[in-house]
Parts: sequence; structure tokens; C-alpha cells
Amino acid sequence: MPGAIFQIGRSGAAAARASIELTAQNIANSANPDYARRSLNTRELVGVSLTSNGTLNGVSIEGISRNDSTLVQQQARSSASALARADAELVGLRDTELALEQSRLFEGLVEFEAVLTQLEGNPLEPALRTNALETGRQLASTFQFANTTLGNARRQVQDFASVSLDEVNRQTSELSRINRNLVNARDGTAGQAALFDARDAALRDLAAEVGIEVTFADTGAANVRLAGPSAGSPGPTLVDGASTFAISSIASVDGTLDFAVGGAPVSLNGGALAGQAAALEAQADYQIQLDAIAADVIARTNAAQASGADANGAAGQPFFSGTNAGDMELALASGMQLATAPAGSPAGSANTTNLASLVASLGTDDGPVGRTDALLLGLSSRLSAQDVTRSGLSAIAQNAQATLLSETGVDLDTEAANLVRLQQAFEANSRVLQVASDMFDTILGLR
Amino acid sequence: MSFISNSTGAFYERSLAQMGSLRGSLERLQTQISTGQRLTRGSEDPAAASRLRTLARTQRLSEVQADNADKLARDLTEAGDEIAGAANLLSRARELAIRAANDTTGENGRAAIAEELAQLELELFDRANAQTLTGEPLFAGTAAGPAFVRAADGTVSYNGNSDIASVPVAAGTELERGVTGAQVFEFDLNGTPTNAFAVLAGLSAALSGGSPDPVAAAKAAIEGLDAAIDTTTRNQTVLGTRLAWVEVIQDNQADRALTIAEQQSDLGDTDLGEAIARLQQTLTALEASQSSFTRVSNLTLFNAL
Repeated sequence: MPGAIFQIGRSGAAAARASIELTAQNIANSANPDYARRSLNTRELVGVSLTSNGTLNGVSIEGISRNDSTLVQQQARSSASALARADAELVGLRDTELALEQSRLFEGLVEFEAVLTQLEGNPLEPALRTNALETGRQLASTFQFANTTLGNARRQVQDFASVSLDEVNRQTSELSRINRNLVNARDGTAGQAALFDARDAALRDLAAEVGIEVTFADTGAANVRLAGPSAGSPGPTLVDGASTFAISSIASVDGTLDFAVGGAPVSLNGGALAGQAAALEAQADYQIQLDAIAADVIARTNAAQASGADANGAAGQPFFSGTNAGDMELALASGMQLATAPAGSPAGSANTTNLASLVASLGTDDGPVGRTDALLLGLSSRLSAQDVTRSGLSAIAQNAQATLLSETGVDLDTEAANLVRLQQAFEANSRVLQVASDMFDTILGLR
Repeated sequence: MSFISNSTGAFYERSLAQMGSLRGSLERLQTQISTGQRLTRGSEDPAAASRLRTLARTQRLSEVQADNADKLARDLTEAGDEIAGAANLLSRARELAIRAANDTTGENGRAAIAEELAQLELELFDRANAQTLTGEPLFAGTAAGPAFVRAADGTVSYNGNSDIASVPVAAGTELERGVTGAQVFEFDLNGTPTNAFAVLAGLSAALSGGSPDPVAAAKAAIEGLDAAIDTTTRNQTVLGTRLAWVEVIQDNQADRALTIAEQQSDLGDTDLGEAIARLQQTLTALEASQSSFTRVSNLTLFNAL
């Protein structure tokens, strides 16, 4: 019956046109990182009849399917989380290294040691005494400078962390909005596919800030929990359907951050936020070490002063005031007050025993010079190891990202081939319509 | 139909990452070549950075210790010169004493000798109170004031102390700065402590009429003068030995400075030949991947449509 041919040709042409539209959509979105390739599902349409073998009715469009691979997505997310954590910690440690190395604290301590050694050669020379005093002043301000730059590095990481935290809470509320819409979306529609795109993009952005574990409801709605210390033991819930639970942070006195969900403390595993928290803890540790070195210098110089007599034969006064790197200040007013001679020596004594023991005390292995070297060595070794870890994680994350892209991304060559194929399909269906029309005309023309 | 395809996005992503890492290593090499420094931050090679810090400290301290050694050598030379002068004075005094002990020398002759001995005693006092270039007494130990003082009755006594400051001249090596006036000019004569000034002044006084038998007094004084000369020249030797030691240390320090500089260069300097070769290699790789990227990215089926 010619009517059926018309119906078949029409449905075929419509399906081909819809596929071409979808191919055009794929091509248009080939550079969109959030877009997963779509394809059209079609089904043969057969009318069931009790009297014959059935009627052929052409093709029907079933819906749009979206390339999706939950497993690959999850791998990409977790490797990106691990990389973001390593990156964030690395940035924090780099700033710390910059602060402590470029303050030239080690060089300042060596210079102080050197001018005191020089003074031993000629203890009563006023120029050398003034030089030693001014180098001491310089050392105190070097400690203050190192303290300030370390503080700046810490503040910068704290700023990053608060941006990350805002991003986490923004993405979780975005996810709850998407989840609400997914409940109402019809299966196989373009709208549903677009919501899935938005959901995966939000999950990806969320995973970059904090490690997560995701489960999907039947509607495709994402339920998110914080990643636990090991896979399979997730932490508290962040997104459950349409409801969200915000992460909050509490800053300690030493600058470190603690996190809580709904008032209960949580530990973060993976993501930039975890890296920033780790960097802040490292910085707090280096701050303690820096303060300890400053206190050591103050204690050793003041103890030496207390056990000696100055150039005028008076008892030595404290060299530095303060107790840590931040408040260390030169306390002596003149170079003549340097207690080079042992206690009880008369004015103008050239005895340098007291000075010699101070120089020896500063230069011992566990003295400030040695401790500063150990601090810098520890920091740069940690940074170097972290760098190696990061390049490993970066390779893994790139691999996962590439796998994800080859599963969900658009291949322009495939689309070009599809264009040709679908165009031919469209032309062929048009031809079917032409044939139907001719057949109709033939029948009508029968005399 | 399979879902797996070679996504165009993945191709661009990979190419960008590869070219980015090549560009990164180019920049690192460029920095190494232009600064001449292999390490710009400690984390690039923590162990080498720590070693460089230790070397920089050793170098700085060596500079200061070399300064100290120079100053010590100057002080020792000055002290040696003064003691040599004092030894000459005492030899001259001994000649005079022998002349005075000769019976043929008349009373006028002895008076002239007494006069000269008094002058010699004054000169010896000056030399004993000599100062360094920076104004500190050479022979007062670590005390501030003049090494010897003259009392109202003309007797000279040691005013310094017996401490000698040590100067660090090399890592772990301290040398004593000099000798004390007490060591140079004071000695025991027949069990009685005395000094060179007392011997000279006593002889001078005896020859200018203070003694009923000047000849015997002169003979007796020769023993004291011998002891004074002996003490002085002994210290001259001590100073000479110490000066030689300083020179050895200075030579060692110079050698060590060279070694330190060599090690610093080995650890911290860019090996230019290697760096430039690697730069060229990386440049070639980057250019090749850029041109292959353009070619491959131009290969699309759309060109054929």
C-alpha cells in the first residue's frame, strides 16, 4: 500500500534529519569540556496486525543517549582530587621555601659569626665593635623579615583555602539544584542530557576542591559524601538528593585550619582544600622551628653577655630583646657594650675568652647556624619529594582525563563520516518518497 | 556502534601538555645558562644546596680568619722587631759593662759609660712599651695600660698581666697573639726575681759613683746582662717560630680557598656545554612537536568534504 511507503520514507527522512542535527550539535560542542557526545537511538517501527504478517511503519526516534562512563568519570575525579591536593600543598611549600631562603637567614647568621670571629682578632678596635653590633641589628631584622614573609605565605594559603571552601559550598548547592531538576526530567530528552553534563561538570569541580565519593540515584541524581581515608569508607554526606550540608572551617591560633560538616569535625582526603590544610600545618611547624632558632640566638648571645665584661669593665648587658623571630630586637646601645672579656676583667681588657666561647657556641652542630641549615634542608627535601609525587599524580590524572575524553569527547572525524552517511540516508529516504509519489501517480494514471 | 573514539579534545589536550612540558624545561635551561647557577632554589637539589650553604659559611669564616692571620702576622713582626732592638741594646750594654770592668777605664770613662747605660735603659723602657698599629700595648698581655711603669724612685715594674689572647686564624686553629713583657724582660738572677731595667739602672748607678768598687760591680752586672740577653733572645725565637707558623697557615688557607671555590663551582655552577647541548636538543624536540601538531591538527575529514 503506497500510504505505508510514504510513512516509511517520511519517518526515515525525519530520523536522518534529527541525526544530522545531533551531529551538528556534537560538532558545535567539540571544544566544550563539559559536553559528552550524544547519539540518536532509533527503533524499527512495525505495526502488529492480526490478519497479516504485520505492517512495516519505518523508524521511530527513541531518544537521545549520551556517552557516559561512570567508572571512568570516577577515576578522573579521584585522580584530579589527588593532583589538586598535591598541587595546593606544593604551592604552599614553595612560598614557604621562598620566604625562608630569600630572607637569607642562613647568610645573616654566618655573617654574625664572621664579624664576631673578626672581632676576636682585634677586640678593642671600635670600628670592629660597631660592625659587630650593626650586624647583630641586621640579624634581628632578618629574623623579623623571615617571620613576616612566612606570615604572608601563610595568609596567602588561608585565602586560597577560603576560596576553595566557598567553591565547595557553591558546587554542592548547584548539585542539589540539578538533582531537583533531574527528578522531573524525562528520560532520553536533550534536557536530561544537558542536566547530566551540568551534573558531571559540578562533580568534577567539586572533586578538584575536596575528595568525594559519589553514588547515583535511579534518576541520575548524584549523592555526594566526603571521601574517607580509604576507598569504600566514605565520610559524612555533602549532598543527598535536594538537601546539602555545608563544610565550615575553624582557624587555630597557629594558622592551621580544621573543618566540620554540621558541627562534627571531619578530615579531608584529597582535593585542593586538603592540600591547603596540609601546607598550613607544615607552615605552622616551620614557624615553630624559626621561632626556636631565634630564641636560641637570643639565649646564647644573652648568656654570653651575662658571663662577660664589656670594654669598660662593666658587666655585660643582654644583646637581644624578645623571645621569638617576630619580636627579636637589638638591645645593646653601643659596640663598647659587647662583653668580649670574661666577667671581672678590668676596662680595656684584650682578653677574648668570652667572645671565643660565644663564637664556638653559635657554630656548634646544634647551634643556630646548624639548625637553620637543617630547617632549610628539611624543607627543600620535603618540597623535592612532593614535586616527585606531584609529577606521578599529574601523569595519572592526565591519563584519566584523556581516557575520559576519548570515552565522552567528540571525534570530529567520526562526526564528518556521520555527516556524509546521514546526508546519504536523508537523500535515500527522499528518493523513497519520490518513488511512493511515482507509484501513486502510476496508480492514479491507470485507465 | 562502539562509544570509544579518538576524541579531538583528547588530542589537543595531550599535545598541549607535551609542548607545555617541553617549554618548561626550555625555560629552566635558559635560566641556568643566563644566571650561570644550576640551582635557583634549594628544592631542586636539597643535598647540594645544603652543601653549598656549608661551603659559603666556610668561605666567609675563612676570609675573616685570613684577616685575623694577617693582623696577627703584623703584630708578631712588630713584636719581633721590638725584641730584636731590645736584644741589641742589651748586647751593647754588655759590651759597655765589659769595658767598665776593665781596670784601665778611668773614672771619666766609667762616667761616660754610666751615662750611656742610663740612655740605653730609657730606650729599653720605650721599646718595652711599644704599641701595635691600632694602639694597643704589645707586651702587656691582655691588660689595657702600658706594659711597664716607672715608679717615682725610678724603679720599673711590669704593669700587664700574664694572659695572652688567642686569635682564630683557621678553622679549629687559634694562635697566641704574642708574648708578655714579663716573659721578655723579667728573669730570676741567683734565685731573686729582677728585670732588665733594674740590671741596667743598677749598673749605671754603680758606675756613676754609687758603688765604692765600680769594677767589681761591673763584673757582677755582666752575669745579669747575660741572663737578660738570654731571656730576650729566647722570646725572639718564640715569636719567629710563631710567625713561621702563621705563614704556613696562610698558605694552607689560600689552598683551601681554592678547593672551596672549586667545590662550589662543581656543585652550583651550570655546566655550560651540557646545558647548551640540552637546550638545543629540547628546542629541536619542541619545534618538531609544534610542526607535527600543526600537520596532524590539519588532518581532518572536513577538508575532504
